[in-house]
Amino acid sequence: MAVVEIKNVFKSYHDTEVEVKAINGVTLSFEKGDFAVIVGPSGSGKTTLLNLIGGLDQPTTGEIVIAGHRLSELKPSELIDFRMDHIGFVFQSYNLIPVLTASENISFIMNLQKWPKGKMTARTDELLSSVGLSDRHKSRPSQLSGGQQQRVAVARALATHPEFILADEPTANLDSKSAEALLEIMEKLNHEEGMTFIFSTHDARVMKRAHRVITLEDGKVVSDEKPE
Amino acid sequence: MKMITSIAWKNVWRNKARSLIVISAVTIGVFAGVFSMAAINSSVVQRIDAAVNEELSHIQVNNKDFRRSADIQNIIADYQGVVSALESTPGVTKTTGRIIVRGIASTATKSTGVEITGIDVAGEKEIFTLHEKLIPETGNFFESDTKFNTAFIGEKLAKELNIIRYIITPEAIAVLKNDGVPADVISKIETLQGERFTSDKKFVKAYGKVLEKGDTEKYGWKIKEAAWSYREGSKIILTFLDIDDNQTGAAFRVSGIFRTNNDMFESTSLFVPADELRQLTGMKEGTFHRVIARLEKNDITNEVTRAVRQKLPDYEVLNWKEISPDLAMMADFMNQIYSVFMVIILAALAFGIVNTMLMAVLERTRELGMLMAIGMNRKKIFVMIMLESIFLSIIGGFAGMGISETVIAITGKTGINLVKYSEGMEAIGYSAYLFPTIDFQFFITTTILIVITGILSAIYPARKALKLNPVEAIRSE
Repeated sequence: MAVVEIKNVFKSYHDTEVEVKAINGVTLSFEKGDFAVIVGPSGSGKTTLLNLIGGLDQPTTGEIVIAGHRLSELKPSELIDFRMDHIGFVFQSYNLIPVLTASENISFIMNLQKWPKGKMTARTDELLSSVGLSDRHKSRPSQLSGGQQQRVAVARALATHPEFILADEPTANLDSKSAEALLEIMEKLNHEEGMTFIFSTHDARVMKRAHRVITLEDGKVVSDEKPE
Repeated sequence: MKMITSIAWKNVWRNKARSLIVISAVTIGVFAGVFSMAAINSSVVQRIDAAVNEELSHIQVNNKDFRRSADIQNIIADYQGVVSALESTPGVTKTTGRIIVRGIASTATKSTGVEITGIDVAGEKEIFTLHEKLIPETGNFFESDTKFNTAFIGEKLAKELNIIRYIITPEAIAVLKNDGVPADVISKIETLQGERFTSDKKFVKAYGKVLEKGDTEKYGWKIKEAAWSYREGSKIILTFLDIDDNQTGAAFRVSGIFRTNNDMFESTSLFVPADELRQLTGMKEGTFHRVIARLEKNDITNEVTRAVRQKLPDYEVLNWKEISPDLAMMADFMNQIYSVFMVIILAALAFGIVNTMLMAVLERTRELGMLMAIGMNRKKIFVMIMLESIFLSIIGGFAGMGISETVIAITGKTGINLVKYSEGMEAIGYSAYLFPTIDFQFFITTTILIVITGILSAIYPARKALKLNPVEAIRSE
């Protein structure tokens, strides 16, 4: 079953008087359990496509359907709740809440969704263990390395069992060891929990582990391959 | 909500230095405003208290023509009836009668116009506190058993009549040494020893010549206090018109000298026992020109005045606000000053909060974008920014109020010494010692206003945060 369906989506920006077509007629779908990367040179439209899938931006034309919901039919306030309930985000710059500890960052969305305290604590502990940070649960982001922060960000994205996780260049700021460790964790979660991951990346290590590689150029899908 | 409150609280402390600067600014602003207000308020409250307790009391009843003509014959026609009417009015606690005659007080060298007030000594002590203002060692409040006529006069009048003089005696030098006046200043002052100065002006000029200017300003009032000397049993002559409009007069011995903060009152008021004045003017026994009433409390002055006026339509009934409208005006003026102070304090608070929170929002653009992206709705972000502002204003506001209350409590007991400027202040009836005081209601109102200002000034930065576009915000540096 398709978790994400992208139907003939165009996205243009009007930069001064010139119209820039960031996404130029993309049609794609992602199935449950996909471990897919979107690659392409700078300016090819990777981040724009991710923003459109994440409901952070609206297509100029075309339709995006997530778990049966047409994003264009949701009001802005409904879209925020929809993101919270259905999509997990991992950002290039980790983007944790600096004043909260690792545990508090992971339980942040569960808190917004008003989970019962016991259930929330159990899920947080489970995720801390999955990302190998049980001993750092009380550390604030400033006390963690880049790799550790990104692992907390992955745990936060996973916390409420979203439909899929969008990760925008998650390894871009990490050294190779941390990047490998992070990818291993995400691969394991994909394998064990069946979590769908959609990455945008330049990183060959990510591409090497991906089950599906979509290449964008000038806002168009030029290839969609499933490496053996 | 608990989580949002917790994040907001933690956000306040993520840039400790900046938050502490804002909180300190709010604290200092609130303290400066509240304390200045308390100090100004105290001078007015003290002035009103002094006027009511020493000079006017709450309500005065006169013969309708008395104040206009000041004619000795315009007495209260039915003194007992007026007293009964007053004493049966709720809120009135005590009454006493006064005889008032205008005349001239003179000594061998000076004379000056005065208002001679004949009083019932016992009744007066129950209503006024003037007897407590007796300068030590200058006599008493009509307690001596003497065959002479006696008068209780103000220090300023005594100076004008040359009853008081300044002499640098060995005792005065000893007092100055005890008071911590430096030896070099004392040695210069000693050169004036033995000389008599018959007026304030002459004495100030004399010690001004021997002392440095700085020392004159610093120790002048101490030197005056030490050199102050009173000729005991001084005699003054009072001249006035009797009941038949014939000029009459008599010698009076000064029974005691009082000191208030009101130079005008001190220099024109002179008190004598009513019986002595009646005898000299030929007024009948038991007659008075004025009945004075004391009330339970000041707040009820207006309503009791109305009630008394209804009971005594044939008399002129006035309260202290009507007799001395400048005081009533000062009380009203205080309310206006209060409003101006509050506007200044709150405007400063609002600017501080808006500035800080705008900086906080700009600095955290990416974080706010991320929060919106992962599902924190705009309402929660708005509340979070509002809470941060409210925390800043509440902490600063309460710290300011706390410090103000402590300083007001301390200075309210010890007083603030403005003796250096006393001459100017006492000339217009204000004490040279301020005992800051403020209503509890002022604290409550100010606290509420601070919280409201904190909330209002947070709206603009919070709205700025809401206008952020998550995609652009996340990309920002």
